[in-house]
Amino acid sequence: MMSKTRRDILFKALLGIFLIALPFFVFYTTGYRISFEDDGARVVTTGGIYVTTDELDVDVYIDEDQVDRPRLFRSAYYIQNIAAGQHRIVVQGAGVQTWVKELPVDSHIVTEVAAFNMPLESIIRPIPQYFATSSEAVFFARSTSTDIFPGTTSTLPYVVRDNRATTTLQKNSEYDFVVDLFSTSTATTTSLIDRLGEELPMFINSSVTSTDSTSAASTTIFGFVERGNMRLVNRGDELYAVWAGSVSETPHYFCISAAGSSTVAMRYGAHVAEQVTTERLLIADPLLIDGIRYCRNEIRIDRKWQDIEYFNLFPGSSDLVVLQLEDGLYVTEIDDRSWQNTQQVFVGNDFRTVVTDNAIYIEQEDRYFELLTTLPE
Amino acid sequence: MEQEDQSHLLPYARRSDFKVGRASDLTGKDRRLFRILEIIPGAASWLILIGVILASIYIPFVAAYFIIAFSIYWVLKTIFLSYHVRYNWKRLKHHMELDWRRMIETYEYDHLYHLVVLPFYNEPREIIEGSLRGLLEAKYNNKKLLVVLAAEARAGEEQVKMADELVRKYRSDFESLLLSVHPADTPGEIAGKGSNTHYALHKAHKEIIKEKGIAQEDILVSIFDIDTVVYPDYFNCLVWHFLTATQPFKSAFQPVPLFTNNLWESAAVSRVMAMSSTFWQMIMQERPDRSATFSSHSVSYQALYEIGYGQANVVSEDSRIFWNLLIANDGNFDVVPLSYPIAMDATVASSLWGTIKNIYKQHRRWTYGVENWCYITYHFVKNKSIPLKQRLTISILQGEGYSSLVTNPIVLFILGWAPIFLGTREFHETVLSYELPIMVRNLLIFAMLGLVISSIIALSLTPPRPAHKSRFNYFVMALQWVMVPITMIVFSALPGLDAQTRLMLGKYMGFWVTPKKR
Repeated sequence: MMSKTRRDILFKALLGIFLIALPFFVFYTTGYRISFEDDGARVVTTGGIYVTTDELDVDVYIDEDQVDRPRLFRSAYYIQNIAAGQHRIVVQGAGVQTWVKELPVDSHIVTEVAAFNMPLESIIRPIPQYFATSSEAVFFARSTSTDIFPGTTSTLPYVVRDNRATTTLQKNSEYDFVVDLFSTSTATTTSLIDRLGEELPMFINSSVTSTDSTSAASTTIFGFVERGNMRLVNRGDELYAVWAGSVSETPHYFCISAAGSSTVAMRYGAHVAEQVTTERLLIADPLLIDGIRYCRNEIRIDRKWQDIEYFNLFPGSSDLVVLQLEDGLYVTEIDDRSWQNTQQVFVGNDFRTVVTDNAIYIEQEDRYFELLTTLPE
Repeated sequence: MEQEDQSHLLPYARRSDFKVGRASDLTGKDRRLFRILEIIPGAASWLILIGVILASIYIPFVAAYFIIAFSIYWVLKTIFLSYHVRYNWKRLKHHMELDWRRMIETYEYDHLYHLVVLPFYNEPREIIEGSLRGLLEAKYNNKKLLVVLAAEARAGEEQVKMADELVRKYRSDFESLLLSVHPADTPGEIAGKGSNTHYALHKAHKEIIKEKGIAQEDILVSIFDIDTVVYPDYFNCLVWHFLTATQPFKSAFQPVPLFTNNLWESAAVSRVMAMSSTFWQMIMQERPDRSATFSSHSVSYQALYEIGYGQANVVSEDSRIFWNLLIANDGNFDVVPLSYPIAMDATVASSLWGTIKNIYKQHRRWTYGVENWCYITYHFVKNKSIPLKQRLTISILQGEGYSSLVTNPIVLFILGWAPIFLGTREFHETVLSYELPIMVRNLLIFAMLGLVISSIIALSLTPPRPAHKSRFNYFVMALQWVMVPITMIVFSALPGLDAQTRLMLGKYMGFWVTPKKR
């Protein structure tokens, strides 16, 4: 049998290891590190960056240094040991548009950010009215050109026929669904406007709650959409993302953690500093999280100085917005810290767009197709 | 059963509450005290588990620091226990190589008899016969073996008839082979191994010991589960330890149960649990100060006689008998680890789901051993003759053991992530929130390296491969240890919590007989 002395020695040795290891592990997990730079060891504090991507086959760079791809959750990057200060995050990949942002990192705190990378070239899935018996999509020619979806890549093989006879063809039920979608989209918007009128005080910024402003707001708002607690409100010429949920659930990019205006400008951009200053002057009871961070009511969406022809939240997301502007369709992020990344996903000016919960449909010259926003595998 | 003569009992064993099984056996203040003690283990476990959840919600930083500390503790505990397993494994191998017969030749031992009690219920004939053959094949004079086949009347006439046939078949091979049939529905008893053994020992006292005029001091009692097959030198090893023990009549002798009789026929989950139980007993062999008797074990007849053969009204009778002895002897009773194996059956059923259910029920019964904590703490309050330090130490260590059995796996593998999911927003945005799962994961992976040692030791204790089994099974047996985090929760923590909760709510458990299948 093991002697008591031996057991005691083992126990005390392990107890000693525990007492030494515990503070070491606690300090490490809270962000303390030992730096051996500048001729000597010293304790430094670090923060982190958490980047999520919607594309798996992309590379993430922090200050020009590539981050190793995660092995398990491939769309989430947690980057440790980041010194406090401003850092440039780049997410790029083959065939997709590059996403860039510059964000502050604070000691002991992880800065969260969600990147998105739309395809460089528009990828579409045509929705034909008919299929041939071979399951091939059939479109009818209107000119001599066989490229009926110029500037795009189709994921569905199709044929263009001169002969408009449909007796041998099979009807595509999805086509009817999409046509119906486009015909009813206007009615939906109207009913939402009515509802917006009822709920107006709930989310309209207090800067427009004076008698005149309210009147102006109710007449100039021509559309609003919502998903969950995120609402897009078109007021005047501008589009705003408004958070209608509880303070504790406010998306991180609505909130800033800095006191002075100049610091806010340096950390998040002058536009954020300006908005915060204006809101703080007008709002008696600002939204604060943890007693220190200020959360804005709304974020203005960058419309690239163009008129907005259509807007909606991106399918399956409440952080991205689909904008139809004068020269095409764009996807932009609501997160305006440093700037809003805006990526064009379809070029043109003679098309209509409808966004559902899970797809973006486009109608152009009486042809319908779904716009795909991820690269095909 | 006729009124027991108490003149031979130790003074403390004569108390009316000495064999208390549950609070309802007592009255007045004693009843209230015992009931509180029954509530404490379950309440403590639930408090810890709910406390971790509440802390994760309201004070996530504190919860996170606690989980880091707990993970480090777990790693070090794994090292500590693995060291004990490895140490005992070497001793076990060494003991299996020793020539125990030659070792006992230097002592006078011819006067010693072994009373082997084999309680059973509805186990098949081949299991019972296997145990009898194991006794015959032991390297010991069979004429020194007094065997009692302890049947249950409630199992039916067929079972009794079968036992009777076995008695007639093997009677001449032993000095004595007695059939004891425990009557059904005896008031004040819990149907099970404990009451059966209790009855069998009374019967053996009358029909073997008194009849043959064997001195009680010359008898060693081995109470074996019916699937127990002794290794050849078991009785030699037992005799050597008995003869060399500091106080042989104040000691229980504990072998290492190897659940290997049907290991090659059992499912991976069954093997992992069986071998985990073996490892735990190997650890206990190196820590006899924390140990109690478990499953099959041996003790002097004299010691049992002085306490009236233990209790017939408890589920965990194998350990209770030791606590009876310790308390009746005013704390002066030891467990002597034999570090010598006995072979038993791993839990097997005809289907995997059946096996899983049986393992769960078996471990719920084992972990219902928490009833012993109530018993010892109650008597530690009453029996002031036991040194205070010993009372406190045993009560705290046993209590901690039952609590950690239930809470540690759940806290570590499930609630360890609670602050991440339940914590405040302020917590979620900290480096601590992100580093916590990485840190805990890495520490657990490091702790899992201890399983490599387990895997090696388990393979070395595995019986030879039957011809019809492929070598690939060795590979599976090596890899099966990755299931440990799951088995710890499903077959240790949950049945333990189940058992403690039942005791806490006063929904007392009965004895569930593990079905045997080979």
